Amino acid sequence: MLKLNNVKAGQKAIVVKIQGDKRFLSRITSIGLTLGCKIEVLYNESKLPLLLYGRDTVVALNQKESKNVFVEVIA
Amino acid sequence: MNMLTNNKQTTIALLGQPNSGKSTLFNGLTGARQHVGNWPGKTVEKKEGHYYRADIRYCVTDLPGTYSLSANSEEEIITRDYIASGQADVVCILADSSQLSRSLFMLADYAGINCPAVLLLNLMDIAEAQGKTIDAAKLEEKLGIPVVPFVAAHIKGYAGFFEAIDRALKEKQLINIQPLIEKYYTIENGVYEELIKLIPKQGIDNYSNFWLAAKLVEGDKAVLKKLKNTLTSDAYKEVQIILSSVENGALYTGGCKFKWIDELLFDALVQKQTKPIVSKFDRLATHKRWGKPLAIAIILLGLIASFIPAAPIMALGGMIPKLGGPITEFLLSANAPQLLIDLINQVILNTLYFAVAMIGFVFGVNLVFGFLEEIGYMARVSYVFDDTMSKLGLQGKSVMPLVVSFGCTIGGAAGTRVIDSWGQKVLTIALAWVVPCAATWAIVPVLSSIFFEAWAPLIIVAIFVVAGVHMVITAKIFGSKLIRDEDRAGLIMELPPYHKPRWRALFRSILVRTWDILNRALRVIFIVSLIFWFLTYSSSGNSNETLLYRFGRTIEPVTIIFGLTWQTFLAYIASMVSKEAALGVLGSLYLGAGTLFSATVASGGTVASGLSSVLLTSLTPPTALAFIFAVTFNAPCLMAITSTYQETRSLKWTLRILGYYFLSSLVLASLVYHISGLFL
Repeated sequence: MLKLNNVKAGQKAIVVKIQGDKRFLSRITSIGLTLGCKIEVLYNESKLPLLLYGRDTVVALNQKESKNVFVEVIA
Repeated sequence: MNMLTNNKQTTIALLGQPNSGKSTLFNGLTGARQHVGNWPGKTVEKKEGHYYRADIRYCVTDLPGTYSLSANSEEEIITRDYIASGQADVVCILADSSQLSRSLFMLADYAGINCPAVLLLNLMDIAEAQGKTIDAAKLEEKLGIPVVPFVAAHIKGYAGFFEAIDRALKEKQLINIQPLIEKYYTIENGVYEELIKLIPKQGIDNYSNFWLAAKLVEGDKAVLKKLKNTLTSDAYKEVQIILSSVENGALYTGGCKFKWIDELLFDALVQKQTKPIVSKFDRLATHKRWGKPLAIAIILLGLIASFIPAAPIMALGGMIPKLGGPITEFLLSANAPQLLIDLINQVILNTLYFAVAMIGFVFGVNLVFGFLEEIGYMARVSYVFDDTMSKLGLQGKSVMPLVVSFGCTIGGAAGTRVIDSWGQKVLTIALAWVVPCAATWAIVPVLSSIFFEAWAPLIIVAIFVVAGVHMVITAKIFGSKLIRDEDRAGLIMELPPYHKPRWRALFRSILVRTWDILNRALRVIFIVSLIFWFLTYSSSGNSNETLLYRFGRTIEPVTIIFGLTWQTFLAYIASMVSKEAALGVLGSLYLGAGTLFSATVASGGTVASGLSSVLLTSLTPPTALAFIFAVTFNAPCLMAITSTYQETRSLKWTLRILGYYFLSSLVLASLVYHISGLFL
């Protein structure tokens, strides 16, 4: 299990755990990230939000917030 | 309320996530028949409009763009309370067909609300271009409500939409939520079923018991409060006990909602294996090193480009004062009193001139930056500047109005249109006022070089340094009241795919908007001009017979504390109407070059001949410096104030910002005066 911010660009992963307050959980759910969903990290550079792809959508997520998302890398 | 009791009037509400095309549909349906206000007691914009079809008046309410119907922001609460209140006869839920699986989340979050709904699959043309086929009939069969594939920007293709609305109004069908509920039942030890047993079967308002139970699992405080008022205390206690065993409920219900969506789509959506398309341009636009410079360059280009549509309109405005000659002649021949002639010449013609010039620029800025927003580029600006701007409590997009303000603060304020949170919008405008605009650069170097010759560049550097500190302080002062916790939450945002601009829809929305601004600008500018004209009126044309002159003279003992003589103080006051007026009024006061009023409204930033030598003899270097800083950090100009009022839609906040700049520029002048007095 890895924190999302440690996943490299180009790697695919499955979300296994999400932490955070209610607002964060509901926000991240509404944009399509849920437990078990498959994502691909497109861009991960320090100082810039993470870019990831899931459910047909490119999502930008802050580095800080991405530490609350845990994944298993699959490829 | 239904069609029969309400005198053939039907209300349609538009619901959808940001980028779903809600506003496009709203403009397409209502055209110019719309009204923008605020939700009662809230700072969230409320857009209403109407259209007629077959003699029936359809009212359209554009609900705030939200990602879900939870209770985490003011917008979300407004949205769901409006739907629950039963004011809408039918709710249109918009989804982006090109990203259907994510974008149906709103539908899933809505399911269980007892108000007839229609699902609109917008942007079908883009989905088709991506090679996706969506079987709307199959979706309709599964959902039990009308499903319409369409393109919101194509008004001619609205037939299916109208037909679906009629069907929804007649059949009043609700979303078939049975399959979704079955998924909710599987959540953690069946808490959902236990909650359902405790909640009244008929639900509360338009919220069904099934919807309420799902929200309870998500830990929704507002729903819990509603139940507290409805349930017996024993039942309420039981609800609390059940909920205490649930943690991170939003994740479970969210999982169920997406499972339901996947089931809906598995045989209704055919698509090739999707891969994110990241173009070369997008790599650059989101690049760690190049993203920011590219954004600044594009915004600057945009600023220049906005003058292309603006210039002819502004030139037209510039011709208005020239009507003064013929009008005067005509009125003189008709023996009209001089006062009336002055009033028409000076106040009315100048009001028209200011308003038209302002409209021209606002139109240009709205067009160019509306275009950048529409094609999806502004989201990239937001992305690369998120880190920097969040330090000021703002979203990344706010960098655009700030950069535009180097050109003109009117455009900066108008550019905040693309910022979706009201608080961040107001704060951005408050900060944009700090940025020295082009007009400032027309007068500051002139004054600086008169007094400080070769040292003038140093003053310009000092202005930049002060502007930076000013911004940080202003962001602190205004941010505490304007920026809500949910705005400070970190960035979680969709980067929409780039797409071609829909020129027609874009023009439509901007024309409606421009008309609205013109009306408001005319009123505000007329009133202020009239007051200023009255203050600077003298029958002889002599400045020293005007009220403003007397006021300036009387108050000089006070203004000199700030380092302002009565002349520079009056010029400072006039610079709130237009920056260039600072020089014009000095010319009028020292050299009698024109009346105070004309010096204020029609000064092109030129220096009256001989002004520099008079200034050198009458002002000390510290008073000159105090004046430069006071004018630079004063309110930008009357049109920028008007533009601020237009965008904030709040007289209270416009006056607050105005008052703040008036006081802070005087404090700054005073500091500069006393500190520089030690050296100069």
